[in-house]
Amino acid sequence: MTTFFDAWHFDGQSAVRRKVEIQAIGRQFYLLEPELRHGPFHFDELRFLEAKGDARVYGLAGKDGWRLGVRGHVPEDLAPLLPASKTYGGLIDRLGLGKASLVFAGISAAVVAVVLLSPQWLAPLIPSSVEAKLGNALVGDFGGRFCDTPQGKAALAKLTRSLDDNPKDLQVEIANIDMLNAVALPGGKVLLFQGLLDQAKSPDEVAGVLAHEIGHVRERHVMQGLLRQMGLAVVLGGFDGSGGSTLNSLLSTTYTRDSEREADDHSLKALKQANISPVGTADFFNRLASMDGSRDLKDRQARTMASYTSSHPLSDERRKLFEKAVVKGSAYKPALTSNEWRELKTMCAQDKDVKSGWGFDIE
Amino acid sequence: MTGHEGKAPSAVTFHGSWTDFAKIALPNVLLTLVTLGVYRFWATTRERQYLWAQTRFIDEPLEWTGRGMELFIGFIMVFFLLGLPLIVMQLVINGLVFQGQPIIAGVIIFAMFLAIFYLTGLAYFRALRYRLSRTYWRGIRGGSDDQGFTYGWSYIWKNVVAAISLYLLYPWASMSLWNERWSKMSFGPYQFESNADWKALMKRYLLFYLVPFLIFVGAVALGIAAASSGEGGDPFSTAGGVAGAVAIFIGILGLYIVMPLAALLYYSKFMRVAIGALRLGDLEFDFTARSPDWILFWLANLAILMIAYGFAFAPFSLLIATDPTQFVQQMEAGESILSVGLVIGVLIAIIPIAFATSIIRYRSWKFFVVHTEAFGEVNLDRMTQSTTDSSSHGEGLLDAFDVGAI
Repeated sequence: MTTFFDAWHFDGQSAVRRKVEIQAIGRQFYLLEPELRHGPFHFDELRFLEAKGDARVYGLAGKDGWRLGVRGHVPEDLAPLLPASKTYGGLIDRLGLGKASLVFAGISAAVVAVVLLSPQWLAPLIPSSVEAKLGNALVGDFGGRFCDTPQGKAALAKLTRSLDDNPKDLQVEIANIDMLNAVALPGGKVLLFQGLLDQAKSPDEVAGVLAHEIGHVRERHVMQGLLRQMGLAVVLGGFDGSGGSTLNSLLSTTYTRDSEREADDHSLKALKQANISPVGTADFFNRLASMDGSRDLKDRQARTMASYTSSHPLSDERRKLFEKAVVKGSAYKPALTSNEWRELKTMCAQDKDVKSGWGFDIE
Repeated sequence: MTGHEGKAPSAVTFHGSWTDFAKIALPNVLLTLVTLGVYRFWATTRERQYLWAQTRFIDEPLEWTGRGMELFIGFIMVFFLLGLPLIVMQLVINGLVFQGQPIIAGVIIFAMFLAIFYLTGLAYFRALRYRLSRTYWRGIRGGSDDQGFTYGWSYIWKNVVAAISLYLLYPWASMSLWNERWSKMSFGPYQFESNADWKALMKRYLLFYLVPFLIFVGAVALGIAAASSGEGGDPFSTAGGVAGAVAIFIGILGLYIVMPLAALLYYSKFMRVAIGALRLGDLEFDFTARSPDWILFWLANLAILMIAYGFAFAPFSLLIATDPTQFVQQMEAGESILSVGLVIGVLIAIIPIAFATSIIRYRSWKFFVVHTEAFGEVNLDRMTQSTTDSSSHGEGLLDAFDVGAI
């Protein structure tokens, strides 16, 4: 044995530390104590465990707690028989940290790109029957909260017809819930909440909002958004804490904002085709803007930050968009007659057996 | 802080340095980032290998033999067995509520709540078992023959009892759970014994429990003083207004400073009593950190996090400051604001925060080791290998619920 070399051994049976010498015989070795010989063991079964300073510790495959430690300058005949040291293990050691990071970054970027872009292609491949089933499973008849009177329904159907060439595969409903909102759901379902009708000043406003939601259906945003959300949740799920969810919302809201833009464009086109004035919708966004505060965001930086965090474009921007679309001197006609408008607005109040609210209250 | 100030040398010592640890933590952060978080299981393993190897019990270092792959498999298992069903159940519940079946939905929600409660208890148990089974000292490891299924039920009923007593019995619940958990663990041939007395915690606990009431009473008293001395007019220009402002100030002070402080006082006592009651064969343990140690420890952690957040937000401010008008224009035009710069900004922001949290993990381990003492004798011949099963799937459950082991 050469200069400074030290070997120790734990047999995994007891905690006794044994100072040993390594006796190599071909691919096998013994561990020698003054009056005891351990082995034979196979070099092939040695596993590198850890390095600390100039010491290295090896385990033996299949032997729980078995350890061989060596410190100092390993004799030349022994060195090639011991397994190589590892820092990270596997692929990263082979490529080096820098190269491995680049490879991983490339793979990650590709995966994220697929998750973000593929829903555009995947969503149209989902059969509409599956989408309709999903829509039904999610909402059903909304717990009997859809309002129904013959006159009100007729007014709603007329409004839908004027905004869409193919209203048969749409299901537009008024939900008896006091909420200023409207949603598009899988399977061509569009829900307008009663709260929206209550505060609407004209049928033109409702037409703009309805056309916007129909836009979501026609552009197939609903399934796209669902697929994208699920994909991002899976891909970024590996991140700990808030990092993943921040990235997730940043990436997905950008897409929802784009979708909202497309739906607004669709709405403008539909209004134009139906010869309905966009002024009403602009008014609606004006009221919304004073509620969400975006009209008062004078500071540009604050505006920018607000736009990052919201899933929709700012209401104030949308108001401007609809205002700009107004053609002066154009002979717009109202979306509904005043009679139809009254029937639509009061449909929920007239419907005797419609349920209201969220259903948690005891009736 | 190495604990050699004139006293007998401690049986448990820490020999690491944070600069050495940083050489592990920084590549960990980089690799975690470029793998979208997947690497973090291997990162945890490398961190622990270092921390364990720098911790000596008597004369030999500890050894961490856990592997990144088993943590990863645990995470995947939990994702498919628990995460996906939960997402599906959420959709089902939504559907049921919308379809006017709130009662069935309520029953399902309650069942899910119970299941998650049970699994949280199970996760605590399994995590401790996993960590002991991967901790070696002189080639000997720990573990448990118990699967932790009964512990899951104990976790539910003891917490329910605590809740029924308006949490007055919380110290009893947490201490008896500690005893139950540790009594089922072993190291080598020896079973851990733990019979910590929860009553020793009550004084500190009542302090914590009563602080909100005291603050409330103080605020109300000041408020009354304010009302009686204020003689109409602008309330904030009178003496009464000042007293009112003081009352609000005290309320805020109480909420953000006194409450966490009271909680820390309790936790400090808990750890001393709990670890002080732990035995393993002829070994007894002690935990020497007192409240001021804890307070300094947390303040330093807080400072590290604040600095990290400062670094995290710097690139954003730069990004917006460089060209604010461009962003506004894009936004006003309704264009996509998703820019490479923005995404890179978020990714870069993760670096200082992830690094700071791993430094805090280093500090926590060091704090724990430095303040742990052990007394008694270890007979090395009798310290034989553990015969417990060692589970192969890491601490996925624990990971899923985001809870710690001790």
